[in-house]
Amino acid sequence: MTVLIVSAVIGFALAGAILYLVRRDHLHGSYAIWWLAVAAVTLLLALFPHIIDWLGSTLGIAYPPVLAIVIGMAFTLIRMLQMDIDRSRQERALRRLTQRLAILDQELSVARDAIVAANDGAAGTRALKPSTEPLRETDR
Amino acid sequence: MSSDGRDNALFYEEHRHLSGKIWLRPLLAVIPARNEAATVGEVVRGVIDTLGCDVLVVSDESCDDTSVNARAAGATVVELPLNLGAWGATQAGLRYAQRNRYDRVITLDADGQHRPETLPLLLMELDGSDADVVIGTYAQRLSSAKRFAWWYFRLLTGLPVQDFTSGLRVYNRRAVRTLASREASLLDYQDMGVLMLLHGKGFRLREVQTVMSPRRVGHSRVFASWLVVARYMLHTTVLCFARVSVRGRIRQDAPASKAAA
Repeated sequence: MTVLIVSAVIGFALAGAILYLVRRDHLHGSYAIWWLAVAAVTLLLALFPHIIDWLGSTLGIAYPPVLAIVIGMAFTLIRMLQMDIDRSRQERALRRLTQRLAILDQELSVARDAIVAANDGAAGTRALKPSTEPLRETDR
Repeated sequence: MSSDGRDNALFYEEHRHLSGKIWLRPLLAVIPARNEAATVGEVVRGVIDTLGCDVLVVSDESCDDTSVNARAAGATVVELPLNLGAWGATQAGLRYAQRNRYDRVITLDADGQHRPETLPLLLMELDGSDADVVIGTYAQRLSSAKRFAWWYFRLLTGLPVQDFTSGLRVYNRRAVRTLASREASLLDYQDMGVLMLLHGKGFRLREVQTVMSPRRVGHSRVFASWLVVARYMLHTTVLCFARVSVRGRIRQDAPASKAAA
């Protein structure tokens, strides 16, 4: 009976934490869906821990708890793989953004110099005078 | 200054070739530099004196006077706000060249090991042959680490190139367009991945023997120590593995490009 209580407490705590984080908008889009599914499964197993025993004996596994561990690890690995794929995609985007930012920064400084030169040439006219201060400190 | 007016100007700028008048700047020299303040000015002046072309220094998050010295020497400077590595900096230069419609791009290192007087040789080779990319190599001065690595990579990829790591290269416009693409953005080094990508797409690579000065300051980013070499070789092996389908195409293309060469 204590086993049931312990598993229920752990399951509820985990599901509660996930639900709290999703509700607080700390997890974005598809991540939220994934973690809600994890919370649902955790709750289900916390309430009915014998599902694992039943599944284990159905699949012919002598020691059913190991099944939960194996499945959990498999999903963790899949998730890690997906994270690395995602990170690679982000890395590509970040590199291209960095390059583009640097190129646009250079073009902007050329354009700014040109405007300043034009304004200096047209002395006396009240024209737009952009700041010549480099924006670098705030950019970084 | 309506935004419409500017958009139209941009449109005509971008689609000028539709009217049959393609206007290209002839040549851009791209010099990726990371904390090379001691040598970059001299390199820039050397290139300007020899080729008289526009020079772009891509400062890879340098924290010394690289940008200042490069500007003083007459180069345009693009400053990366994050460290992207040698290839990331070079690709920024290639994207700049594409955006500003340069016909050819020559890349060289900022540490002064590529002698300016060898640059016209590469350009002559590009213009005088059917090559899309010309690589300046210096095969004589090979350490045993490099010799072994290159033997291994030639075995692995079948690339008909002697010097994989040389940063001294000339690219024509088509090659620049390919290397400026997203596909080339996840490469970490400018050598194997870039060459495999180009070769896989049927670009013709050529090599020209050149003379190089010993590095005065700094050292090779790739061949710093055996541990780095080992990491680099593992990295590149994985890259070859990832491009296994491209390799298939290389094998088919190889006889044709040899016949053409």
